[in-house]
Amino acid sequence: MTRHAGWVVLLWVVLTALGLVGAARVDLLPVAAAREARIIDDAFRFLMLLAVPVFTFVLAVLLYAVAAFRARREPPEDGPPLWGRSAVPWVWLAVTSALAVYVIVNPGLRGLAELRSDRHADLVVRVEGSRWVWRFVYPESGVTSRELVLPVGRRVRFDVTGVDVVHSFWVPAFRVKVDAVPGMTTSVYVTPTRTGDQAGDVNFRVQCAELCGLGHHLMAAPVRVVDPGAFEAWVAGGRSP
Amino acid sequence: MRAIVRGIGWGAAGFALGALAATAAGWAAGRPPRAEVLVTLGYVAGLTGWLLGVGLWDAWARGWFGLPVRHEPDHTWRRYFRFTTDHKVIGVQYLVTFVVLFVLAGAMALVMRVELAAPGPTVMSAGAYTHLMSLHGIIMIAVAVATILGGFGNYLVPLMIGAEDMAFPRLNALSYWLVPPVAVLLVATPLAGGFDTGWTAYPPLSEVNASGQVLFNLAVITFGLSSILGGINFLATIVGLRAPGMTWRRLPIFVWAVFAASLISVTATQYLAAGLLMVLLDREAGMAFFAAARGGMPLLYQHIFWFYSHPAVYIMILPAFGLALEVLTHFSRKPLYAYPWVVGGFLGIVGLSFVVWAHHLYTSGMRESLLGPFMATTELISIPTGLVFLAALGTLWMGRLWLRTPMLFALGFLFNFLIGGVTGIFNADVPTDLHLQDTYFVVGHFHYTIVGGMIFALFAGLYYWFPKITGRMYDERLGRVHFWWMFLAYNATFLPMFWAGVHGMNRRIADYPAPLAGVNLWISAMAVVLGASVVVFLWNAVASWIRGPQAAANPWGARTLEWQVPSPPPEGNFPHPPRVVGDPYAYGVPGAAHAVVAAAGGAGEGGG
Repeated sequence: MTRHAGWVVLLWVVLTALGLVGAARVDLLPVAAAREARIIDDAFRFLMLLAVPVFTFVLAVLLYAVAAFRARREPPEDGPPLWGRSAVPWVWLAVTSALAVYVIVNPGLRGLAELRSDRHADLVVRVEGSRWVWRFVYPESGVTSRELVLPVGRRVRFDVTGVDVVHSFWVPAFRVKVDAVPGMTTSVYVTPTRTGDQAGDVNFRVQCAELCGLGHHLMAAPVRVVDPGAFEAWVAGGRSP
Repeated sequence: MRAIVRGIGWGAAGFALGALAATAAGWAAGRPPRAEVLVTLGYVAGLTGWLLGVGLWDAWARGWFGLPVRHEPDHTWRRYFRFTTDHKVIGVQYLVTFVVLFVLAGAMALVMRVELAAPGPTVMSAGAYTHLMSLHGIIMIAVAVATILGGFGNYLVPLMIGAEDMAFPRLNALSYWLVPPVAVLLVATPLAGGFDTGWTAYPPLSEVNASGQVLFNLAVITFGLSSILGGINFLATIVGLRAPGMTWRRLPIFVWAVFAASLISVTATQYLAAGLLMVLLDREAGMAFFAAARGGMPLLYQHIFWFYSHPAVYIMILPAFGLALEVLTHFSRKPLYAYPWVVGGFLGIVGLSFVVWAHHLYTSGMRESLLGPFMATTELISIPTGLVFLAALGTLWMGRLWLRTPMLFALGFLFNFLIGGVTGIFNADVPTDLHLQDTYFVVGHFHYTIVGGMIFALFAGLYYWFPKITGRMYDERLGRVHFWWMFLAYNATFLPMFWAGVHGMNRRIADYPAPLAGVNLWISAMAVVLGASVVVFLWNAVASWIRGPQAAANPWGARTLEWQVPSPPPEGNFPHPPRVVGDPYAYGVPGAAHAVVAAAGGAGEGGG
C-alpha cells in the first residue's frame, strides 16, 4: 500500500513538473494590448498553475492503477473490499472544498474587483452593433467611424448597444467582451497599453462574438491603437489621419 | 410498420384539420392567418393524430370510451416498430433511434469541419454553414439528453431494481413515440428556410428569422414533453417498484444517477418550453416578452433558457457518471468506493445545478453585482463532482482491473471528463471568461464533457450491455481498435480547440482570420479520422448482432440483478420477484450475495 502510494506521488511530481514546463513553453496567450488584458492573463496563468497539479494528480492515480493493477484475463479473485469508510473521503472533501473556495476568491473575486476598480473615463465611445456591421460614435467630437481608433494610455468607456438583435463586442487583444443588447446599453472599460493595428496582428479587431444570423462571420471591424497626438489628428480630420 | 403508416396517415389528417380550423377561424375574424400560424396549429392537431394512430388509440384511448383495448403480444422484430409497452423494447427503440441521430449529426459536424478546413468559403455558403451548425447543435443536445437516460435507463432500471416493467408502461411508450415527430421537424427545418440561432434560439433573432425557427420551437417543446413524462416515470418506478429488500443503500449507482437526472427533468424542462412558447407568442401573436422593439426584454429569455439548459447538462452527464462508475466497479472487482458520498455528490449536483445558470451570462450585460454570486455557486459544483472522481479512483485502487472494451471506455471517460472539468474552472472564473466566453475554448470544454464524457460512457454501456440486450457477444478485438482509434483521434481533434479559442477563434462562425488557418486545418483533418472510428463500432455492432457468438447470462461475472437473468431477459424479466439481501458491489466479501433470484430450475443465488 505505502509502496504503491510512493510511486503515485513520484509520478505526480514528475507529471506536474512536465506540465508546468510545458505550459510555460507553449504560446499560451495572444498579444495583450490593454490593462484589462494583463489582469485577465494573470488570472489565466494563475488558474493554469492550479489546474496542472490537480489534473496530474488524477492522471497519476489513473495511470498507476492501470499499470500496476491490471489483469491479463478475467481476474480469478476479487480485489480487497475497500468501502471508503475511512477518513479519506473527509480529507478529499476538505481539500476540494478549500480549493474551490480559494479559486472563487483568487483569481475570481480579486480579479473582478481589479477590473472594476477604476470607473473614470478619458474617452467615451458609443458602439452600435447591427446586422452585420459595427459603428463607432465618438460623442465628444461627433466623429462616426467603421474603424475603432483609440489613443494609447487613455481610459476608454465603451457604451454598447444592439440595434436589431443581440451581438457581442469583443476585442481579443483587449480580452474583454460585452453583449450588444437591443433596448439596453452595456458598458465596459479598457485602457489600451500598446499601439498596433489589425494589419500587424489580427487580434486588434472588434469581433462579434454572439451568433447574430447568417452574416455573423462578416461582423468584424479593424482596431487601431495610436499615439494620443495621432488620435487627435484623426479626430480633427473627421476620419483618417 | 403498419402502426407507423397509420400514425402518419392520422397525423396528416390531423394536420389538415388543424390548419383548416385555423383558416376558418381566421376568415371568420376577417383576417387570413399567416402560414406560420397555420403550421403551428396544424402541428398540434397533427401530433395528436400521429400519437393516436401509432398506437395510443388501440392500446390506451379506446378504454376511455368503454371500448375494449387492443393489445396483441408480439415477439417478432416488428415489435420494435410498434407502440409496445415492454421497457426493454422501448429501451432498444431509444438506443437505436438516438445512435442513428448521433451518426447523422456527427456527419453534419464533419461537413462543418470540411468547410472550416481553410479560411474563406470552401464547400458551402456561410448561411448554409450557420444552418448546419444550428441543426448539429440541437440534434446532439437531444442525443445527449436521451440516449443513456431513455435507452439504458428504460432498459436497465426495472431490471436492476427487480421490477417487471416501468411504473407506467403506456406512458413510457408515449414518451418514445413523441420522439419521431421531433426528429422529422428538425430535419425538415431546411425546407422552411432553416434556423440560424444555434440551439439556444436567442431572441430577438429567433423572432425575425426564417420560418424554420417555428419548426425548431415546436420540435423542442415536444421533446421537452417527452423528457418530462420520462422523468415522472423513472421517479415513480424507482420510488415504487423496487423489489423486496432493495433499500436505497442497495440501489445500483446507475439507478441513483437516473433518479437524480429525472429530478431535474421533471422540474426544469418546463422553463425551456415556456421560453420557446413565449418566443412563438412574440412572433405569431405580437406579444412583447422579448421583442425589444415593442418594449420586451431580450435578456429575460437568456435567464429563462439557461434556468433549464444549465441543469440540463446534468441530465446529460449524471447518467453517464452512474454508467461509468457501474462499469469501473464491476471491472475492478471491488466495491464501489465511498458509495454514500457518491449519492450525496449526485444530489448535491442536482441542487447546485439550479443556482448556477447565470454563468452563461457573464458578458450579457446583466447587473454586475450578480457576477460574484454566480461565480461562487459555479465553482462550488466542483466539490460534488470531485466526489465522483474520489469514488472512481478509490474503486480502481488495488483493484483487479480487467481491461475489456467497456472498461477502456470508462477509463477514457475519466480522462476526458477530467479535462472537461479542469477547463470548466477557466470558464467559471469571471475574469478569464470575459475573454473565453463564446470562443472555441468553450466549444472544447463542452465537447470534452459531452463527447469525451457522455458519449464515451455511452460506448462503455453499449459494449457492457451488448451481450445482455442482444444475447450475442461483440468482437473484442474490434472493440479495442474502436476505443484506441476513437480516444486518440478524439483528443487530437478537441485539445487544439482550447488554443484556438484563446487565440481569437470565436464559436459558431463560418469564417476566421488567416492566422488561424493552421490549427483549423489540423482540427478538420483529425475530425475526419475521429468520424471514421465510429464505422468500426457500427460494423462490430451490426455484424455481432446478426452472427456473434451466443452470450452467457453473465459474461462479466457482475453482481447486479440484470446479469442474473437470461440474455436477453424474458418479457416480465423475473419469473418471481427477486429478494434483495445485500450490497450490489460486495466484491471480495466472502459469502456475500446481492439477491436471491428464482430461476427456472429453482432458487439460485445471484452475484456470488
